[in-house]
Amino acid sequence: MKIKNLKPAIFMGILFIVLIAGILIYRSFAKEKELTRYTATFLDVFDTRTEIVGFAVNKEKFAEDAQLIKDRLIYYNQLYDIYNDYPGVNNIKTINDNAGIAPVEVDPEIIALLEFSIDTYYETDGAVNIALGSVLSLWHRQREIGIADPERAKLPDADALKEASHHTDITGIIIDKEKSTVYLSDPEMSLDVGSTGKGYAVQRVMEYAREKGLNNVLLSLGGNISCIGTRIDGSNFRLGIQNPDVYSDEQYIEMVDINDGECVVSSGDYQRFYEVDGVRYCHIIDPDTLYPSDEFAAVSVITDDSGKADSYSTALYTMSLDEGMAFVKERDNVEAMWVMHDGEKIYSDNFKEKYVK
Amino acid sequence: MKKNDVILIAALLVVALLTAGGMRIWQMNNTKDTANVVVTIDGEVYGTYPLSEDRTERIELPDGSYNILVISDGYADVTEASCPDQICVKHNHIRYSKESIVCLPNKVVVTVEGGKENEIDGSTF
Repeated sequence: MKIKNLKPAIFMGILFIVLIAGILIYRSFAKEKELTRYTATFLDVFDTRTEIVGFAVNKEKFAEDAQLIKDRLIYYNQLYDIYNDYPGVNNIKTINDNAGIAPVEVDPEIIALLEFSIDTYYETDGAVNIALGSVLSLWHRQREIGIADPERAKLPDADALKEASHHTDITGIIIDKEKSTVYLSDPEMSLDVGSTGKGYAVQRVMEYAREKGLNNVLLSLGGNISCIGTRIDGSNFRLGIQNPDVYSDEQYIEMVDINDGECVVSSGDYQRFYEVDGVRYCHIIDPDTLYPSDEFAAVSVITDDSGKADSYSTALYTMSLDEGMAFVKERDNVEAMWVMHDGEKIYSDNFKEKYVK
Repeated sequence: MKKNDVILIAALLVVALLTAGGMRIWQMNNTKDTANVVVTIDGEVYGTYPLSEDRTERIELPDGSYNILVISDGYADVTEASCPDQICVKHNHIRYSKESIVCLPNKVVVTVEGGKENEIDGSTF
């Protein structure tokens, strides 16, 4: 066969290759364009800032995904609220209002949170105690007054704290799963789910979102962060750990890359606190001393369950470094980072290797 | 292969490269590289200010509440506010795209949009 006869075939072949090359070049540029990264921020659930990061073909599709998560958060917010009533909803405030009076019929998701919290109480040797409401409310009141008017800032009355501490027995929470009721047997006791509620809600909401087929999503509820999958390009979601020194030029004291299903929570003394005579008193109260813990500037926990991340970070904040280190070591898939008041970072065994890239 | 074929192939290649290159340039021009500070109150845009110009802005709410926004040396910061918790004032100053300072009581959000990215998807607080 002569070359001349092959010419059309060669020509077509080259044209084909050029076309394929063109498409490949176009796709390599356009790949990230197919799904756009979106962020939704709202301020109206759990009295904090919520952020959802996701990837979608357009804004409308993302808004749909974000709304699915938001609706679920609103549901949990109403159930786990200790300050507000909602029409037709029995929530934790309803349980507190009926302490010593009557069992309250509640949504099974409230009972699930309470059971989780009670398990955590025993697991942390009482460092996380949702029955500490009577003590925490005394601190809460003084903190609100002290922040609003530093001249009037003072500590809660020591005798009042002592008296309140007699009404923090976790066995006073009487759960009847069959009737779906909760009763507080001590009229003076009250529940405060500040150390478990947000984290547990995030865990449940993300499990729901996963069931609904959502992927490549990051949810941050007031710093309780959890993810499904990775970024759209396959790389891990990267998070900043807030620098406890809020006047520093560096907003983040560490960056961590988390894997599918992992969660991060920080507990610290740098955001919610007040000062009395120049001493800082933060919002995390050690159940043993009834006073705020002050050993660390912050503790961050990474694990595969948001409820645990939330409660463990509170627990570690009130434990000594040695106790905390041992606590982390005993558990699989739990890593922690402590930040001391001088800015020094102390890591659990595998924290840096696993998460700091 | 005739001379004309070579010219045609070369022309096709040039067109393909020009198209790809042109798209790249178009994309780059459409990526915002100027950073702005966007202030919203309850989701509504209150004002937009360039991060490159030093200024002090009093963000005023109808009920008399306020936040003082200071832009200086390429940073945005809330230095004073009427809110009780002062969490916005205690926040670090910000400079990277998508970073924000939130004042929950006043529903004020100060966000940097455009400019340098910090490769962060979220942060603890």
